[in-house]
Amino acid sequence: MATDRTRRRTWAIAVAVTALLSVLYFSGGVVSGLRSAANLVVNPFSWTVNVVARPIGHLFAGIVNYSDVVAQNQRLRYQLGQAELRANEGWAIERQLQEITTQLHVPFVGSLPVVAAQVTALSPTNFAATIDISKGRDDGVLVGMPVVANGGLVGRVIATTPRGATVRLISDVNSAIGVTFGTGQTSLVVDGRGVNNGLGATAVPLSTALKPGTVLTTDGLRGGLFPPGLPVATVANVSLTPGAATYNVSLHPTADLRRITYLDVILWEPST
Amino acid sequence: MTRALVSATLVTLCIVALQLSILSSLRFAGVVVMLVWLWPLAMGLAGFTVLAVWSALVAGVFFDTHAVTPFGLTAAVGMLLAYGASRLGKEGVGDLDSAAWWVAPVLAAGGGFVAPALYVVGAFVTLHFSLWRGSTLAMMVVNALAFLVLARPVSRLARVVGNFGVRVRR
Repeated sequence: MATDRTRRRTWAIAVAVTALLSVLYFSGGVVSGLRSAANLVVNPFSWTVNVVARPIGHLFAGIVNYSDVVAQNQRLRYQLGQAELRANEGWAIERQLQEITTQLHVPFVGSLPVVAAQVTALSPTNFAATIDISKGRDDGVLVGMPVVANGGLVGRVIATTPRGATVRLISDVNSAIGVTFGTGQTSLVVDGRGVNNGLGATAVPLSTALKPGTVLTTDGLRGGLFPPGLPVATVANVSLTPGAATYNVSLHPTADLRRITYLDVILWEPST
Repeated sequence: MTRALVSATLVTLCIVALQLSILSSLRFAGVVVMLVWLWPLAMGLAGFTVLAVWSALVAGVFFDTHAVTPFGLTAAVGMLLAYGASRLGKEGVGDLDSAAWWVAPVLAAGGGFVAPALYVVGAFVTLHFSLWRGSTLAMMVVNALAFLVLARPVSRLARVVGNFGVRVRR
């Protein structure tokens, strides 16, 4: 009898919870409030876990990765030197380009204001490629703004709080970006393939002159989600399945999405 | 029962914090080990049905508030795992003392293997059709292996927490 009662109670709880979750799920505003409340509850526990575990993790990481860190530091210094050299050489070209794009009434990325931010957390789940950053609405970061780092487009802001924001990476399965290449005659759609699978492009017509190494940049079409000219991906491989009417294209993100520490939020909204 | 519920809730919140602070950045083959699913599963294997389902709900809801994935889906999958495991736990199948030493880890590994697939199916049901495009198989394998390794220590913790109440209802 007790077993029956327990079973009935379990089922009742399950049904009630499912109904509650359904209501919450279909009412976005409630979910938003719930998220804030849940953050308040979990944050003290997270803080405690961090205080205890992070120094231990850093100690082990330091012991294991010291030589890698030194090598990486040297490589970064070299790359920084190269970047400074290119920046010094390219200022005149950039000014010319800015003048031309201004005349064409096309927003020039180099002239758009940015907000520098630090990555504060990676996506906690396997099913979404997102990062949390340290700047939010108080710093002018709004939903929809593009985010760049490591030499290319990283993603787009999808949620903000006063002092933080969530960025959906271009590798997320819900990400789709209009891109172009070369003279800008052809537009393609690059979509995310998940956290570990990078990017891909589907339904690429056979007339498209894509080859490995081609850099794809945002097309900036009117009403698009990104300003034009942001490097998105490099073509890794172009293959054709016998009998197919379109190419299979595999792409590497231009920005290294696995090693993002600092990034820039471009203060540009899709409607502007 | 109340004491057990309170202690289970507190431990669950610690598990969520551990998941968000440590495991999210500690990826194996690019995959996050979902401790928030292992914990209720272990609680279920220990035979605590109500505590297992409650832990799954708390862990899932708090975890989902930190992710951009469909809200409540982690909780729903966790509750399914917890309930299924508790049916076995009631029969003593997953008991650490009476069953063979490998039974609980193997059952947990099975749970870890099917959980991501359940999640993808749940996403389909809630009209999120793109989640299958992630590395679902990698998630299944990595979680199965992690659950295999972690099952016994987590089950021990589950048993301690479940027995914390003076009059625990099993």
